[in-house]
Amino acid sequence: MAILETRELNKWFGGLHVTSGVNFSLKQGEIHCLIGPNGAGKSTLFRLILGEHLPTSGQIVYEGVDITKAKSFERIRKGISVKFQVPGIFKALSVRQNLQIALQHHRRPEDLDEEIDRLLEFLKLTEARAQLAGNLSHGQKQWLEIGMAVGLKPRLLLLDEPTAGMTPDETAATGEMVQALNRDGVTVLAVEHDMAFVRQIAHKVTVLHFGKIFAQGTIDEIVADERVAAIYLGDAHA
Amino acid sequence: MTLVYTLFSFLYQTGDAFAFLVLSACGLAIIFGMMGVINLAHGEFILCGAYVCSASARAGLPLPLAILAGAVAAGLVGMVIERIIIRPLYDRPLDTIVATWGVSMIVTQSTLIILGSAMPGTGTPFGSFAVGPYSYSVYRVVLMAAAVATLGVLWLGFTKTRFGILARATIQVPHIAQALGVNTGLIYSLTFGLGAALAGLAGGLYAPTMTLVPTMGSAFVVEAFVTVVVGGADIFLGTAPAALVLGAAKAALTSWQGQLAGQIGLLVAVIIVIRILPRGISGWILRERA
Amino acid sequence: MLRPNPLSRAIALLEGPQTQGRGTPFWASFAVVVAIACAYPLFADGYDVGNNVYFFNWTFMALGLSLIWGYGGTLSFGQTAFFGVAGYSYGVISINLGDAYGLTLFALFASVAAAALFAALLGYFLFFGRISGVFLGIVTLSVTLVLERFMAQTAGPEWRVGLARLNGYNGMGSMPSLTVPWFGGDIVLFPDVQLYYFTLALLVVSYLGLRILVNSRFGNVLVAIRENPQRAEMLGYDIRVYQLVTFVIGSAFAGLSGVLYTSWGNYITPASMNMTAAALPIVWVAVGGRSDLTTTLIGTLVVLAGFQALTIHGSQYALVVMGVLLVLTVLIAPRGLIFGLGTFLAKCFHHKTTAGRE
Repeated sequence: MAILETRELNKWFGGLHVTSGVNFSLKQGEIHCLIGPNGAGKSTLFRLILGEHLPTSGQIVYEGVDITKAKSFERIRKGISVKFQVPGIFKALSVRQNLQIALQHHRRPEDLDEEIDRLLEFLKLTEARAQLAGNLSHGQKQWLEIGMAVGLKPRLLLLDEPTAGMTPDETAATGEMVQALNRDGVTVLAVEHDMAFVRQIAHKVTVLHFGKIFAQGTIDEIVADERVAAIYLGDAHA
Repeated sequence: MTLVYTLFSFLYQTGDAFAFLVLSACGLAIIFGMMGVINLAHGEFILCGAYVCSASARAGLPLPLAILAGAVAAGLVGMVIERIIIRPLYDRPLDTIVATWGVSMIVTQSTLIILGSAMPGTGTPFGSFAVGPYSYSVYRVVLMAAAVATLGVLWLGFTKTRFGILARATIQVPHIAQALGVNTGLIYSLTFGLGAALAGLAGGLYAPTMTLVPTMGSAFVVEAFVTVVVGGADIFLGTAPAALVLGAAKAALTSWQGQLAGQIGLLVAVIIVIRILPRGISGWILRERA
Repeated sequence: MLRPNPLSRAIALLEGPQTQGRGTPFWASFAVVVAIACAYPLFADGYDVGNNVYFFNWTFMALGLSLIWGYGGTLSFGQTAFFGVAGYSYGVISINLGDAYGLTLFALFASVAAAALFAALLGYFLFFGRISGVFLGIVTLSVTLVLERFMAQTAGPEWRVGLARLNGYNGMGSMPSLTVPWFGGDIVLFPDVQLYYFTLALLVVSYLGLRILVNSRFGNVLVAIRENPQRAEMLGYDIRVYQLVTFVIGSAFAGLSGVLYTSWGNYITPASMNMTAAALPIVWVAVGGRSDLTTTLIGTLVVLAGFQALTIHGSQYALVVMGVLLVLTVLIAPRGLIFGLGTFLAKCFHHKTTAGRE
C-alpha cells in the first residue's frame, strides 16, 4: 500500500527544471532513502512533499488523499513530519520547552509531562533538558529535532540528511533510533549522502539525477549499478 | 481641444508624481535592495540635503552646485552613520529599523533646537508656462528630467563601473568578495553613503519648492517606503516601474478626489501589491528563486 | 509534587518560561508594590494623583506592544493607529450617547472593540498575506501616518459623526469622561483618586491576565513562531492564526490606552498618531525589555517619568534623549536596559544565596 505517491511531479524555477516528471511511490512501513549527486533535486522534492513549494504541475497523494494544494501545516496535521537538514529547533528556548511545544497538542494534558520526560530519555537529553537548545552539540540538536518530529506521532517521517555533521557513533545511534521508530510503524523517507547510514537502515533506495528518478532498488542493487557510479563521477547525463 | 489639455494635465501630474517618487525612493531602494537595511532616518538625509542646499544657495552658490552640495553633505553624514550605527546591526534587520528611527528622532529634534522651527528657503526658479487654461511650473518639469537622468546615471554606474560591480558582488557574497581582497567595509560605507547622497539630492532638488521645517522629511518618507515596497528590491526593475504605476494612480486619484484620496490610494496600493506580489514588482519580474 | 492549595495553582498559571520573576520573593515584592500603589493617594494631593494617572494610561499600549513584538516577534508601528481609532471612537460614541446610565462604559468597550476590529482587518491582510519583517513594519507605519493625515483633513463642519465633529488638526474635545453608574450618584472619573484606582485595577488585571496568556500553551506557540516560524508551521500550527490573534489582542490594549487617554484629558488629536507618537511606544518597550512583561512595564514607567521630568525642566531635549536611549539600547543592550539590569541583579542574588548555603 502506497502511503505517499507523486504523479508526474514537475517544478520549474525560472528556466531551471528542478523536478522532472517524478513518479515516486513510497510503500507504507518502508524505510526509503533518496540519494543522488548535489543538485539532483532531492531537497526540492522534499519541499514539494511538505508544501514549502507548490509544484508547477503534477500531483502529490498522501494516504489516498490529494494534498497537492494543501498548506504545510495541514499536511503536518495529516500525519507527516519532517526533520530538516539545518537543525530547525527553537534555539532560544530550553530543550524541554522545545519538546513541549511539539507535543502539547498531541498528548493529553495530564500525560504531557510524563511523555516529555520519556522522550528526553529516548533522545539521551534528560541531563540537558534545562539548557537552551542553541547550546547543545550539533548531534544533540539533530536528535532534539528528530524527537520533536517524532513527538507528533507521524505516520510518515521525512528526514533531510539526518546525520549531517555527526560522528560515526552518533550516526550509528541515529540509525538505531530510526529503525526503532520504523518497528513502531512509522514510514521513513530520508535524503542522505552517508552510504554507511543508508546501508544500515534502508529497505529501498531511489537515485535522483537532474530532477528525474534515475534508478531504484535495494542498496546492493544500487551499489552494483555501474550507471549510478558513473553519475556520481560525472560521466553520465540523465 | 480640451481633451488635449486634460491629457497634458494628466501627463504632467503623472510625471510630477513619478519624479517625486523616484527621487525620494531611489536612495532608500539602493540601501534596502542592496543591503537589506531599512533606513528610517531616510527623511533626515533628505532634510540634510535640503537645508545644506538652501543655505549654500543663499550664501551665493548657484543652485545646481548648491543641490550637489546638499547631496554630498548627506552622503558624508550617511557614511558616518553607517560606520557607527548600521554596521554592527547587519544581521539584525529589525533592530536596524529601530536604531535608525532613534537617529531620526535625534536629528529632527536637534535641527529644531539648533536651527529653529523654519529655515528660509529659496524661491522656485524658472517660472511657469501655460498649456491651454492650465499653467505649469517649469522647474517641476526640470525635476522630471532630473529623475530620469538620475536613473540613467545609476544604471550606468552599477553596470559599467568597477565600483558598481564590486558593490553588487560584495553585497551578494561578502565572504567571497573579501577573500578576493575587496575592502568590504569600504564598499558598505560607500553604498550606504550613495543611498544617503541620493536622499540629499532629492532634498536639494525639492528644497526650492518647499517650506523648510525640521519635520519635512516625513513628507517624503511614507511615499518613498510605499514605492520601495511596491517596487521590490531592484531599482531599475522595481522602483522605476512602481513609481510610474503609483504616480499615475496618485495623479488620477488626486485630480478626481483631492490630495487625501491620492494618499489613501497609495496605501491601498501597498496592501494590494503586497498581497499579490509579496516581493514587489521586481520580485515578480525576476521570479522567485528558492 | 502536589500543590493543592488554590493560591499555588494560581501562581503556577502566572509563572512560566516566558516571564521573569517567579517564586515567593517576587510575588511578595509584587504585593508590596501594589499595596504602596494603593496607599499612594492617601499621602498625595488629588491633583497630583490625577496627573500621575497619565503614566498608567500608556502602560496598556506598552504591554500590548510587548505581546506583539517581544513575544510574537512582529514589529508593528501601527499601535498608535489603534490608539487613535479607539480614542476617536470613544469621543464620537460618548458625545452622541452622553454619560448617563453607564453609557460611557459602553463607549469604552465599543471603542476597544472598534480598534480590535480594525486590527483584525489589517492583520488579516498582513498575516494571511504572509507579510512579515520589515515589510510589515512599513505597512503598519504607512497605515498610521495616512490615518493621521486623514484625521488632520477633517476640519470642516461636514466632517462629523452625529453630534461629534472630528475637527481636523485641532482635534476633538469636550467628550465626557468615563462615568461609573453608582448608587446615590454616578462617579465621574475625572483625573482624581477614583480614576487612579480604576486605572490601577485595570493595570493589575491586564498584567496578570497577560502573564497567564503568555505562559499558556498559546504563549508557547507564540514564542515558537517568533523563534522559528518555519519549524512552528512544520509542527502543525497555523501560524497565521496565532499571529493574527496576538495582533488583535495587543492592538486592543493599544485601543484601551487610547480610550483612557481621551477620557483623562477630554481631548484627542491627530498628533497622537504622528511619527513621534508612533516612535515613543517602541522606545519604552525596547528600553524596558520587550520580551518580558514585567521589564516592559517597569521600563515604560521609568522612561515616561524621565521623559516628563525632562520636558518640565529641559523641554526640547527630551526627544533627543529618547532617540539616544533607543540607539544605545539597540547597540548595547538589545534585550532592554531594564531587562539587562534585572538579569544582573538576579545573578547577584543567586550568587548570594548559593554562597550563603555553602
